[in-house]
Amino acid sequence: MRKVVKLLALSLAMLVLAAPAFAGKLESIKAAGVLKAGVKDSQVPFGYVDEKTSKIVGFEIDLMQALADKLGVKLDVKPVTSATRIPMLTQGDIDIIAATMTHKKEREDQIDFSITYFQTGQKLLVKKDGGVKTVADLAGKKVGSAKGSTSEQNVKKAQPECTVVSFETYPEAFLALKQGKVQAVTTDESILLGLKNSDEKSGDYEIVGEYISPEPYGLGMVENDSDFRDFVNLTLMELWETGKFQTMYTKWFGKDTPNYIPLDWKLELWP
Amino acid sequence: MAYSFDFGLVVSGEYGEWLRQGLLTTLHISAISIVGSLLLGTLVAVLRLSRIKPLVWGSAAFTEFFRNTPLLVQIFFWYFGSYSVLPDFVNEWLYKRDFEFAAGVIALTVYTAAFIAEDIRSGVFAIPKTQLEASRATGLSFLQAMRYVILPQAFRIIIPPLISQFLNLVKNSSLVMAVGVMELTYMARQIEAYTFHGLEAFTVSTLMYLSISLVISFAVNMYNKRVLKIAPR
Repeated sequence: MRKVVKLLALSLAMLVLAAPAFAGKLESIKAAGVLKAGVKDSQVPFGYVDEKTSKIVGFEIDLMQALADKLGVKLDVKPVTSATRIPMLTQGDIDIIAATMTHKKEREDQIDFSITYFQTGQKLLVKKDGGVKTVADLAGKKVGSAKGSTSEQNVKKAQPECTVVSFETYPEAFLALKQGKVQAVTTDESILLGLKNSDEKSGDYEIVGEYISPEPYGLGMVENDSDFRDFVNLTLMELWETGKFQTMYTKWFGKDTPNYIPLDWKLELWP
Repeated sequence: MAYSFDFGLVVSGEYGEWLRQGLLTTLHISAISIVGSLLLGTLVAVLRLSRIKPLVWGSAAFTEFFRNTPLLVQIFFWYFGSYSVLPDFVNEWLYKRDFEFAAGVIALTVYTAAFIAEDIRSGVFAIPKTQLEASRATGLSFLQAMRYVILPQAFRIIIPPLISQFLNLVKNSSLVMAVGVMELTYMARQIEAYTFHGLEAFTVSTLMYLSISLVISFAVNMYNKRVLKIAPR
């Protein structure tokens, strides 16, 4: 058994190592004249396909555009999933990941993260008359979530008496809530908001509770390329200081949008 | 830059425990479904071989319907579709229990039973028709003839295809994660999401599936050899 494992690991490792070794990312991006960004294509309003233009738009796309502008190169966005984003990054198919990715210590092992560019927290989406108002009310009840998210363990820690049912996507979890199979759906507030607004009877549902856990989003880059990481971090700070970040934020999360989330946090700024 | 492997992470500690739990759930759901599908499949096959027309039509329709629709669709059908068919109080009763697991077992059982029924039917066809006629002539009823004469012989012949169905069932059980059953593949995915060490998690879970399959093949082949005294040709 151990031999087989070693053999498999070895062959996989060789496959991965066979990917072209690159010099600095900054140089290779400039040489190619294009920044390849891995983004979501169905996460309103972070990254989604616009019905009119059939192009991927969103808050994260605007951020990537700002990075590309700063570098003086073109932007090429590629949709990624939670399963493809890491291999695509390590193989060099994309230069950076901007896909509502929570920065976790355990994830640091495979890739590097930028400073936090979006902060949200995990909450509950419930039926208005469903009797669930806080995490404490979930005792003995079922709560829906989506696979590959960090929400499942978080809600389990906050309320050990609940049962988590994880679905492929959030719309399925929402359907389970509508049918009464689960009493709440839990994930980042920003995603819940998009989910609630997608329903015809969005008034029947509400987002409740305190933040179960903080969810800081970071941009993902390959390990040990300090020049590129510095460039990304410093550009984010510059965007904040010049007010461009806030303008971008208001465009997608401002009062006039259906996804209103007040900007009640500050970007980490190095002195 | 390259992917750094860390098998220790996924076979020990919290994540090792997740994989262990997932393996147990996979074994649990597979074992129930294997027994269930064998029983249901036999029933359907016998009904289809009977002379009573409505039973023949009914079992034929059952087989063709469940054999020719995707399993994933069936899993969603049992889980989400039952909502509008069943009365509210039944739904409420169901949802308080482990309905996800139950829907998964029903889907796997019914789907595999359709295939097993076909295997059994072809096994029965391989037994000379004169045997059934001879048994009926000695005074056995249709069901008695089936039970004591035909099916015992048919089952010997169809052991190899039956093993394939069982192995398919074990592998198909990974689909029930679509409705939130936390089996082996689900856990591997979850570890991927938490640590980005997906290659290790999937390597280990693949080896676990391989081991289950090999154990099943080995056990049934042994049964074949020792108990039924038939060597694989």
